[in-house]
Order: sequence, then structure tokens, then C-alpha cells
Amino acid sequence: MHKVWAVIRREFVERVRTRWFWISAILGPILFGGVIVYQIMQSLGGGVRDIAVVDSTTTGFGARVTEALATNPSFRATRVTAGPRVVDSLTRLVEAKQLNGFLIISDALSETGKAEYRASNLSLQTVEGLERALNKVVVKVRLETKGVNPDVVDWAQGMKITLDQTKIARGGTTKESAGESFALAYVMAILLFMAILLYGVNVMSSVLEEKTTRIIEVLVSSLRPFELMLGKVAGAGAVSFFQFVIWGVSARLLISLRVPIARALGADASAAQGIKLPHIPFATLAVFMAFFLGGFLLYSAMFAAVGAMSSNEQEARQAQQPVTYLLMISYFSIIGLTNDPSSTFARTLSIVPFTSPIATPVRWTAGSMGVGELGASLAMLLIGIVAITWIAARIYRVGILMTGKRPTMKELVRWVRA
Amino acid sequence: MSEPVVVDRVTKRFAGHTAVNALSLSVPSGIIYGLLGPNGAGKTTTLRMIMDIYEPDDGSVRLFGQVGGGRTHSARIGYLPEERGLYPRMRVIDVLVFLAEAKGVSRRAARIKALEWLERLGLIDWRLRKVSDLSKGMQQKVQFISTILHDPELVILDEPFSGLDPVNSQVLRDTVVDYRRRGKTVLFSTHIMEHAEQLCDRLCIIARGKKLIDGTLAEVKRTHGGQHLIVAFDGSQGGAQRIFSDRRLVAKIQDFGQQAELELANGADPQEILRGLVESGARLARFELASPSLHKIFVDLVGPEAATAAAIPATTAAGVGAGA
Repeated sequence: MHKVWAVIRREFVERVRTRWFWISAILGPILFGGVIVYQIMQSLGGGVRDIAVVDSTTTGFGARVTEALATNPSFRATRVTAGPRVVDSLTRLVEAKQLNGFLIISDALSETGKAEYRASNLSLQTVEGLERALNKVVVKVRLETKGVNPDVVDWAQGMKITLDQTKIARGGTTKESAGESFALAYVMAILLFMAILLYGVNVMSSVLEEKTTRIIEVLVSSLRPFELMLGKVAGAGAVSFFQFVIWGVSARLLISLRVPIARALGADASAAQGIKLPHIPFATLAVFMAFFLGGFLLYSAMFAAVGAMSSNEQEARQAQQPVTYLLMISYFSIIGLTNDPSSTFARTLSIVPFTSPIATPVRWTAGSMGVGELGASLAMLLIGIVAITWIAARIYRVGILMTGKRPTMKELVRWVRA
Repeated sequence: MSEPVVVDRVTKRFAGHTAVNALSLSVPSGIIYGLLGPNGAGKTTTLRMIMDIYEPDDGSVRLFGQVGGGRTHSARIGYLPEERGLYPRMRVIDVLVFLAEAKGVSRRAARIKALEWLERLGLIDWRLRKVSDLSKGMQQKVQFISTILHDPELVILDEPFSGLDPVNSQVLRDTVVDYRRRGKTVLFSTHIMEHAEQLCDRLCIIARGKKLIDGTLAEVKRTHGGQHLIVAFDGSQGGAQRIFSDRRLVAKIQDFGQQAELELANGADPQEILRGLVESGARLARFELASPSLHKIFVDLVGPEAATAAAIPATTAAGVGAGA
């Protein structure tokens, strides 16, 4: 056991000492800090769009649209009467970045519902804001032409509807919006995919290094190949865990510092209060960690075998492709999973060990998975880990002492059977 | 005290051929034992079986009189494989400590010993540098330290002199001799007979996976080869070639140009050869009756083609670990 510990420690210490570990450890918080600063800046008015309303209407319709836009803090609108050269000169202003865009409206708007917006940057948020304002004015104008009292219209429109969202999952309910739940599942899936791939490949290159430098012979004369593989996987796993801890702690720290950050940027505290981490229940966190660990064990065993059967980087890159594709299946299914987490497709993915490390946490987070199904998924994953590790260890045992050409499929089968 | 290494009728087959065939040998305590053979004879495979790197298909290995091979006893054995390597990106001291820990030595003890050895071999200032920063010769020293750092009772060296520079070659030789003096056991393989002749107390010659002969150096020399004559010239060889080709006097000859090693024919008188050489006008620098060199015995035993196979570069193993 002392020997295995030595392998784990070496793997951990040498990885943590590399520049790349610290670059990615720092990059995470920087990215997260950037998101916080961006949101605060938005609230400071950084997001206000300068817009011209080109008005060719004859009924004062343009003025009313301009007025309606003025009530939305995201817009600063100016009315311009339509003329022969107006569009051209406004286009030049947009190109010179003095104007974000301009809205062209005519009398036809209230009949056909059509208007035009030209801008250098068409963001969804802006377009939705404009459509909402136009819609409000058009509805009001159309009602007025049918003789409805404008005050009545104002009264009718002066109410905003909000949906109180509650998720029913696993016998309980949680206050959580659809967006939050989706985002959490999505971020988790990406994190899982990246971490499993990154640290799995780390195991592979570490195996390959020992093989190409021939140090493997000394190691195998002191440790059993299986112990060596185990130590390697555990060491790399510990590094990835450490990485997660660094990211988690720094994210918490940044969140707790959001008010001072807002003040430093000249915004008021309320702007920062809105920024918060999505609420992650303990059970979700536990599922995430369990399936990360399982997925990591499963895939790094495969990557270790790939490293052992290759004799240089180039060969390893080729030989790892089938393993990477296997992991990619769940990556490409993320959208499908989050959109319909209870489909047959999603159920299948969460029971197959190669895809369940990503599929199951996503479905669990989305709330479409019972405890029974979770247990089945975990059991299948465990069986998968044992079976794959057994096969991988046998390939590893023979492969690490091999030089020369890559083994054929037939030879691999013989190694496993031997 | 029981024999540190006993190999009992081990056989190892790889896809297509038998690398080691029912080989037995035993290494007594406190001596230097040479495992000799041409390339491909099965030396490395034998050592790997002793070290538990390969599992024998048949037969068994016992170390220190106990069951279990090198892995079980790793803390008592220093093993230097033929193909050497270190982690290039690790620091020198860390590599040494790790390799000792992997053998089962405690971290603290490993560190102290590593520093001692680095000091002794003049590498102490390099202890915090990466292995890849070291010259090849220095890396060889580090490799060597890692083999003997834990003061093993048994040292197993596979072709230890191959690729060593002259300085390190001498360091290695001194250490090996020093080890024997301290009552430890050294087992090494080589295909260079000069090394074996200088160092070995006992030896075993193998070819094509089978043992040809074993015993002490003196025994091997006694049983093989009759009377030998070494003749060296000082300029003119006169009619030497005519005398050397006289089958009544000379049974076999290895002609090196300025020097020749003769195996006398049965009943031949060396004085007759001397007289003949002087009369033919040859100028002699050396005329010496000797026991045959190990090289000569080796060539006789394994055949000239196999003996010169040393000059053929080792081919990389294909198939399941088909290394020799």
C-alpha cells in the first residue's frame, strides 16, 4: 500500500507543479469574475442602446413609439422625420458607431404589423424590447380606432403577468425557474465532459511517458501493474478534484465579494445583490460528484490502456479517438437531454455506463429521474467500471512492456484472454 | 546462508518462439555472477523473470531462499534494466526518492540516502534540477544511484556497461567490486566477454534460451579449450602464416593481425613453434602460454555467427514482449 501511495503522490505533486494546472486554476475564477463585472456594468447603463426612430407616419404614431421606448431604460430613442437622405445618413452614423441602430416605421405598421430595424449588432434582447414596445403602441392605436377609450387601454395594459415557477421533482417542490434549472444542468454536463476528457488524457500521457522513457521496467519490478495503474488513476483523479475545489471556493469567494466589487465599479449594492449562484441542493451535488468520479474511473482506465498500447504521442492520439467518440456521444446529446430529460433516448443514455456519467446528472438536475432509476444507473456504472478496469488492466499489463508496432485488434483480444 | 537467486527450470515462450528453455541457475551469496550470451540468447528474459516482470510459463524463481521473485523482495534488490530511463520533467532528488519509495523504502530514509549518493558522485548541486537538464553521463549516474540507493543485498544489472561513458563505466566497475567486498551479490548479463573475464567469479553461458555451461571462471577455462598460445609481432611476421597453418602444430587460430591466439594441436610442442617463428624471420613482441580467453571459449561454444551477433543492432521487439 505504501508503494501505491508513492505513485499517487508522485502523480499528484508532479501535475500540480505544472504551469498548466495553475493557468486553468486561475482562468476559472477570472472567467467567473468577468461575468460578475459584466453584469454590474450592464446595470450601470453600459447596455443602453441609442436608437433613432425614422417616422414616415402621418398620425403621430412615431412620436408615440418614441415615447413608449423612453419608458424602457435599455433604450434612448430619438424621433427623426423621414426624408429622402435620412436612411443613408443614419446608416453612416451606425457605421461610425455614433448610433446603435434605427427603426423605420410607416402607417402600414398598424395594418400589417411590419416595421424594420437596422443596426450594427442585432441582439435578441434589443429586438425583443423593440417588438414589445411596438406591440404595445399598435394594440393601443388599433383599439382607439375602434372607439375604445385610451385610458381604458392604458388600464388594461398596465399590468405585468409573472409566472410563479415551481418544479415538482422527487416528491417535493423547489422554487427554481426553468432557465436556472436548464442552465445548471447544461453547465454541469459541460464541466463533466471537460473534466473527464482532460484528466483521462492526463492519465494516458502519464502512462505513455513511463513507457517511452522505459522507466516502466523498474516500476513493474517493484509494483504490480494493476497497483501502478490504480495509483496513476487515483493521483490524476485527486488533481481534478483539487481543481474543482479551487474553482468552487473562488466562485463562493467572488460571490461574497460582489457588493464591494459593485461599489468599486461605482454601482450601488442592489445591482450586485441580483447576482447569485443557482441554488444547488446537496443531493444534486452528491450525484454530480459520484458520477464525475465514476465517469472518470471508467474513462481513465480506458485511457490508461490506450497509453499502454501506443509507443508514441502520435499513435496515442489515433488510438484514443474511439474512447473520445464514446464520450462525445453524451456531449452531443446534452441539448436533447436538457430539452426532454424523460424521453426514451435520455433514459437509455442514463443506463449505459459510457454515457451515464454525463446523462444521469443532467436528468437528475432537470428533475426527471426517480431515486430508483438513479440507483439502477449507478449500479450499471459500477458494473461497467469493474468490467472495463479488468479489461484495461490486462491490456495495460502487457502493453507497457511492448515496443514496436501498435497491436492489432486480434492481439489485444489475446492480451485480455492471456 | 541460502543462495540469493535460484532459477529452477524456467521456460518462457513468446508468440512463435521459446525465449528461455528449461533454464536453471543458482547464484551463491557474495559473488559476482555473469550471465553471458549473444544477443537474443534469453538473458534479458531470464532477468525479467527473476524480477517478476515476466511470469515464467514453467519453472520457478526463488530469491533469498523464499518464494516470490523480485517484486516481493524489491526492497532488497537493486535492478538496472538494459533500457534505462528516468522521468525527464522531475527533479533529480524527487525521482530518486520516488523510485526508492516504489521499492518499499521509507520516504525519509530514501531522501537521506539519495543526498548521500548525490554528494558522493558529485551531483549534489544538481539535486533540484530537472532530469532533462542533466547531461547523458549525469543521467546515467542518477540511474545508477537509483539502483543501489537502498543498499540492496542483491544487485541485478542487465548489460550494465552498454552505452556508458568511460568514467561511468569505471564508477560502475568500482561499485560492483566494492559490493562483492562487502559480502553482497551481483548478477549481471553481458555479451562483452572482456567485462565478464575481469569481474566474474562464476558465470553461465546461454544461447538460444539454453544453458551451455556454468561454473567458476577457472572451471570453465579448465573444461574448455586445451593449451593456448598468444603470439604478438613486432613488425615483421616472417613466415608465421606458414607455421600457423601447419595442422600438426596448431589446431585452431584466431588471427587479429598483429596478435594471434593459437590453440595447440594435440601433442604439439610450443618450443617448436617458437623455433620455427624465429627461423622464419618473425620479430616477436610476445610469446606466451596461456589458458584460453573467455572470448575464445564463448566463440567455440556458441559459434562464430552467434558471437558476432553482438555487432548487429538489437531489433525492437514485435509481438508480445518478444525481447530477449
